[in-house]
Formats: sequence, structure tokens, C-alpha cells
Amino acid sequence: MIKKTMNEKAFHLLKEKMEQGLLPQWVITDPDIYDLEIEKIYGHTWQFLGHETEIKEPGSYVTRWMVNDPVLLVRTRQGEVKAFLNSCTHRGTQLCTADRGNKKTFTCPYHGWSYNLEGELVGIVAGNKVYGEEMDKSEWGLRPIPQVASYQGMIFGNLDPNAESLEDYLGEMKWYFDILLGRSGGMEVRGLPQRWVAKANWKATAENFAADPYHVQTTHRSTVEMGISPEDPLYAGYGHQVVMKNAHGINVITSKTGRARVPYQGTPESMWPLFEKHLTPEQLDIQSKVTVFVGGVYPNLSFVSPIHGTEGHLHNYLNFRMWRPIAPDRVEVWCWFLIDKAAPEEYKEDAYRGYLGSFGPSGTLEQDDTETWARIVEVSKGLMMRDKELNYNSVSNYLMGYSHVKPDENFPGPGTAYPTTYIDALSRKMHEHWLELISKDMFEKEVSR
Amino acid sequence: MSLNVQNKVTADIHLEITNILNMEAYYLDNRKYKEWLELLADTITYRMPLRETVEGVGVSNIAEDSAFFEETKTSLRTRVNRLYTKSAWVENPSTRQRHFITNIYVEATADPDEYKVRSYFLFMRSRASTSDIEQMFGERHDIIRKIDNGWKICSRTIYPDQSVITTMNMSMFL
Repeated sequence: MIKKTMNEKAFHLLKEKMEQGLLPQWVITDPDIYDLEIEKIYGHTWQFLGHETEIKEPGSYVTRWMVNDPVLLVRTRQGEVKAFLNSCTHRGTQLCTADRGNKKTFTCPYHGWSYNLEGELVGIVAGNKVYGEEMDKSEWGLRPIPQVASYQGMIFGNLDPNAESLEDYLGEMKWYFDILLGRSGGMEVRGLPQRWVAKANWKATAENFAADPYHVQTTHRSTVEMGISPEDPLYAGYGHQVVMKNAHGINVITSKTGRARVPYQGTPESMWPLFEKHLTPEQLDIQSKVTVFVGGVYPNLSFVSPIHGTEGHLHNYLNFRMWRPIAPDRVEVWCWFLIDKAAPEEYKEDAYRGYLGSFGPSGTLEQDDTETWARIVEVSKGLMMRDKELNYNSVSNYLMGYSHVKPDENFPGPGTAYPTTYIDALSRKMHEHWLELISKDMFEKEVSR
Repeated sequence: MSLNVQNKVTADIHLEITNILNMEAYYLDNRKYKEWLELLADTITYRMPLRETVEGVGVSNIAEDSAFFEETKTSLRTRVNRLYTKSAWVENPSTRQRHFITNIYVEATADPDEYKVRSYFLFMRSRASTSDIEQMFGERHDIIRKIDNGWKICSRTIYPDQSVITTMNMSMFL
């Protein structure tokens, strides 16, 4: 079944280089590696499907993708969230092509088989007249996504029925999700996620978001030129980078003084008592000091909670984005805007404008990010890049902070917290985890032959 | 519904408005963004909702709760000013772009100086030395008004035909 496995020699070379803080560039877009990633990483990790506020009512649904697996995410009559493979069990036709909607049943346009919100087959055209009595409808319900679970309203699915639970998978990240998503009692999604296709590799986009405040000063220099961002080249580097189990991570960016430039990310004062109510003293301490949270849940969910605006006044919002791999050098970006349910309506509107002006495909910050992602994949297919013996030293440098930055034992949150966000600790962890996942079972296979 | 006869869309009016839209496309394609801003009324609302895939016939497939742009003159000016910095990398090196504006339909309103204008757009872009061609297409609904003897775009709503955008960013104006 699995045609492509990793060559043992290549694995050892990779491991050796990565232990030195180097990543061979050919792995970025190598097609064999890409196939391995889809199988070994995306087949076994928790993928983001949607937020519970996207399917509020019984019968509400959205259609999503877990890389190449089509997913139908529905709210049942009892209010439960269920996820099915969005494919008719008769001939495999994609069952529902709408982005979202509300229905009682889903009917296949090919032969008319229909399913209820529980995924049960409830209707067959001509029924027993064509199939006879032996057809047992209960055997032909929609195939459920093997595992579905949610945390703080974020719904995830896993294609591996034996994978660890979502709570265990998120691990220490739950503590930070409690701040990001639970600070005021819950968030809501506005509208549909924006979707666009970028010339990029998912590893690079995930790393860019989750682990790389170092790029801010250069990639987003236009905002410095315009006087929106500070001149200090270290301005995005103040704070902590926290590395967690399963290669999740967060950057808690503060300021030179260690305090936020504006308290509680500039949110309305009316919301602050809610933060005090929902957060522990340690979490509140972090929330009060942070300017920007930016991080990721491995492998392909990223988030940023910044303060932005294009009209002179600044607003805070939460942006989640999912990097759906569609080719070694292509991602389909899915970008959600979230805001505190408890925020005043006017603030929500203004924050949405602030979001559109900064992130999302038209965002002035985002636009320049896409440029660097494309420039990485444009050059990563060359022979010198692809040389697996590494004679040409075509490796990426992940040495920042490697030898001299030690974790800050006094940081109040869980995970390994380094006292700067200009550090490659999380990137290294992401790539080490990547190698661990794609090489899993590799040696067992050798033995079993 | 009958409009006053003086609100008829004359050939002259149609030509003038067509010229304005062609001039606008020329400004945008030639990076004359400050000149472009001058074509916009100070009170402009400039919006671009998402197109969504929905089931049903004759139902709206515009996601009014979701947007790519939701702009005022102030926020548009911020976007424009950024494109004149040295480090707006998305436009440095600059993209080569063309706005093809067609199917211009002008409708009179109750106000003799104000017209509703519908147009189609095809936006195409080439970047650096790659052979990829990026494009977007759709429809624009404008309100164009004569103010102090000059035409100004007072409102624009852009409806893309793609639900998944195939330009890798939206540094352009449409």
C-alpha cells in the first residue's frame, strides 16, 4: 500500500544535520517526502475542522478538507457535532458541495441516496424494488471521521482511530488555548473563512507563523517605514517562545520593558473583569503583558492574536489559519476571524476591519508574507538544493539561540519557555517532530522484510 | 419607478463614465495609486464580500458576513501609502497587472448627478520571472456621482466569482 518509504541513509543524514541545527533544503518540496508527510503526518495527527459557532443550529453544516479527505461537519438535532467523510457510500460521489448551510438530509445527486444528520442512510431510490430484501441500510451510513473532539470550541478530527485523544495531543497548549479562546467566556467566528491558494510549502508557512517572529522586522518593514511599528530591530523579539510537546508552540511577545504597550491588547475595559473571572492569576499575568500571541498547533494550524488597524485606531482579534497542503509547493490557506462573544458589537465590527487590513489575503502584513513563502519554494527544487549527500551545503540555518539561550524557569506557563522570541527552538522542535513522524515504522519495515 | 426624463442615460454620460473606469484601470495598472485615490469620494465605501458555494437555485451566493475588503478612504489611503514604501515586498519588485473592464452598464438614479454603474472585471497579473499567470474575475457595482464638475466613485462593491482566490495575495485594488 505505501509505496514510498524513507531511505535509511537519507534518514541518518537528515538526523545528523538536524542535530547540528541544520535542515537540508531539498526536504521542503521533495515530492517523495511530500507523499510521506501526507500519509505519516496528516494520517495520524489532529486536524482542525471548524469552530462550534460555525454550526450553531441543528442541521447546520460546513464542508471541510483534511488534506484530500472531504469532510462534512454537522450539528445534529440533539445538538451534537459529527463529522463524516463527505462521500456517498453508494458510488463515492462527493455528497455535498456547498460551503455551508442548514439541512435535514443530504441527498446524493448521482442516484439519490439520502442521509440524515446522524449520517444514517435513510432513503434509497426504489429501495427494495432494486436491491431486494437483503440490503441493510444500517450498513451503508456515511463513514464517520474516526475521531472527532473539540477543545474551547475548536473542533478537530483525526483519521487514526488509535491516535491519542485531542486533550492529550494538545497537552500544554490547552493552557494557552484557555487564554486565547476562553479569556472572556468564549469566541465566535465571523462569516466564512477566507480561502486562497499560495505558492508555498506547508512546513514553511506553519513555521513562519508559529515559530518565527524574527521575520517581522524585515518582511513587515513597510509598517516600520510608515511609523506603525517601532524602529527597534528587536521589537518583535521581546517576550518568550514556548516550546511544547508534539511540536506545538506559542510566542508571547511583550515589549522592551516586559509590559504590554497597551494593557490587555487594547480590548475595551468592560471586558477586563471577564478576563479576571476566566483566567488563573498566572494566565492573567501573561494576558496583561502580551502585545501579540502567535503560535501553532502541529502540523498545520496557526494562530495570531495581535493589535491592528488601518484607520489609526487599533483593535485586537484572533486569527486562526489552516495550511491545507495541496502539492509540495502549494497550500490552500483557510483563514478564520474570531472575536470574543462578549465584546461590544461595534468593537467586533472595527476589529474585523482591523483584521482585513492586516491579515487575510488582502492584509497589508499578510501580502508580504506570501512573497517570502513563494521565494522559498521557487528555489528549493534545484539540483544543488536537492543534493542528498549535502556536498553543496544546501542547508537552512536553524542555529539561532542554539547554544546560548537557556529556558526561563520563572515563566508562569507550561512548556519550555525561552526568554526571547528571536530563537529557533520551536522551529527545530517542529522539524525534529516532522522527522520522527515521517520515519516512524521505517526500521520496523526493514526488519519485517 | 418612472424616472424624470432629464435622468436619462445619454450617450455622452455613458462615454464619460466609461472613460472614468478606463482611466481608473490605467492608474491602477501603472501604479498611479495616488491619482487613483483622487477618483474616489472622501466618503467612499469600498467593499468586497466573499463568494460562497451554496445549494439551491436563485439564492444569493454572496457571503455578506465575510469580506476581503471593507474600506473607507482612510484605510484605502493607508494601503496606498504602504505601496510607496521600499519594503512592501509584494510590490517590490512590482507585479505587472492589467485590469480589463467590460460590460459597463449605466443606470440613472433619482439624483440627476448620480449613476449606478455595473461592470465586469478580469484582473491578470504576472510576477517576477515565473510563468504562472494569476487572475481574478467578477463584477463591480459602483455609485458614481458628479461632484464639482468631476466624476467621483462614491461606493463600490466588488463581487469575485471565485470562492477560493487564485492570486496568492490581494495587494491589488479592483
